[in-house]
Amino acid sequence: MADQEIDRALKLVANLSIDKASQVLSKMIKAGAKIELEGVSLEDVTKATERVMQSDTGDVVGAFVDLVGDLPFKFLFYVDANDSLTLTDLILRRELGTTKKFDVYVTSTVQELGNILASAVTNVFASDFQIKMKPTPPIVVHDYASTIFGEYIMEAAAEQDEILMIESMFRVVRLNVKCRMFLLPKGDAQKELAAIVGKI
Amino acid sequence: MAVEVSVGMADIKLGRDGDVLATVLGSCIGVCLFSASHGAGGLLHLMMPTAGNNAAQPGIKKAKYADTGVPELVHSLKVSFGVQPKDLVAKIFGGAKVLQNVERNIGAENAVAVQAILKEYGIPLKAHKTGGERGYRIKFHTESGKVICQVFGGPTEEY
Repeated sequence: MADQEIDRALKLVANLSIDKASQVLSKMIKAGAKIELEGVSLEDVTKATERVMQSDTGDVVGAFVDLVGDLPFKFLFYVDANDSLTLTDLILRRELGTTKKFDVYVTSTVQELGNILASAVTNVFASDFQIKMKPTPPIVVHDYASTIFGEYIMEAAAEQDEILMIESMFRVVRLNVKCRMFLLPKGDAQKELAAIVGKI
Repeated sequence: MAVEVSVGMADIKLGRDGDVLATVLGSCIGVCLFSASHGAGGLLHLMMPTAGNNAAQPGIKKAKYADTGVPELVHSLKVSFGVQPKDLVAKIFGGAKVLQNVERNIGAENAVAVQAILKEYGIPLKAHKTGGERGYRIKFHTESGKVICQVFGGPTEEY
């Protein structure tokens, strides 16, 4: 299968997934959330990590989720540590500014968001492409953005020098909260996905 | 003019005359080799302890592995600055176990592998800070050999 076909299939799935995730998130926080697909690209591991390092301004809170089933993927959601406090207030329906430090409520919120967003992605795989997948419980880590990103791509980067990344950013519009989501196929998942999408 | 350079995963960067080599690590290890007599050094950001069967493959990314990356860094310093292994000292950082749900402690394996290879080359290990559960941000000053290290959530320390 040609690379262009794989690329097209991944973009289609990515667009549908982030649309779904955007709707779910907006409903959950009762605020407009806009998700933009930044790109589907095959990127050298060194360049990908350098790029994240150069934009790494501080600490983030990330949720790692393995998507297991017919096609294995890895999902990562992360948010700047300060913005995670705002998200926590939004999710818990508290007055903005109530959450002042990283605590168990923030961990739970990011874990829940990771779970919900990953589930939105797997729902698209199941409903639109009949690919059965389910998310494993999210692992939440508070650390440097570059450390979190490095650990996320470690398994794929161990096997190949270039990794296929689906990257998107979402903003909670009125609060300017910015988060990132990544979807990374494991093994031959991208080729199998392209073959399935091509048949539909 | 001195510059600050980011060193990504599976990469080697060299510097001199005040250049600063910077990276952020998790389970990866950052190997800083420095020659005081040349005022130069290099930083390797490796991911795994050994290349295994991949070592013989053409086009292998040598900086990905400890057993191919350290020799590549030593070679690069020799070619670029005329530095011999006897001129070098080493400082290593990283090797954390950031994800507690992963069984294999690749960070610890990386640290052991690097120390063994440095020993083979006879390069003294002047400083090391490895392990833990948090990421490392390091800045290697190639003119002095000084490394500024901050483990996530901890103080900034000088090595």
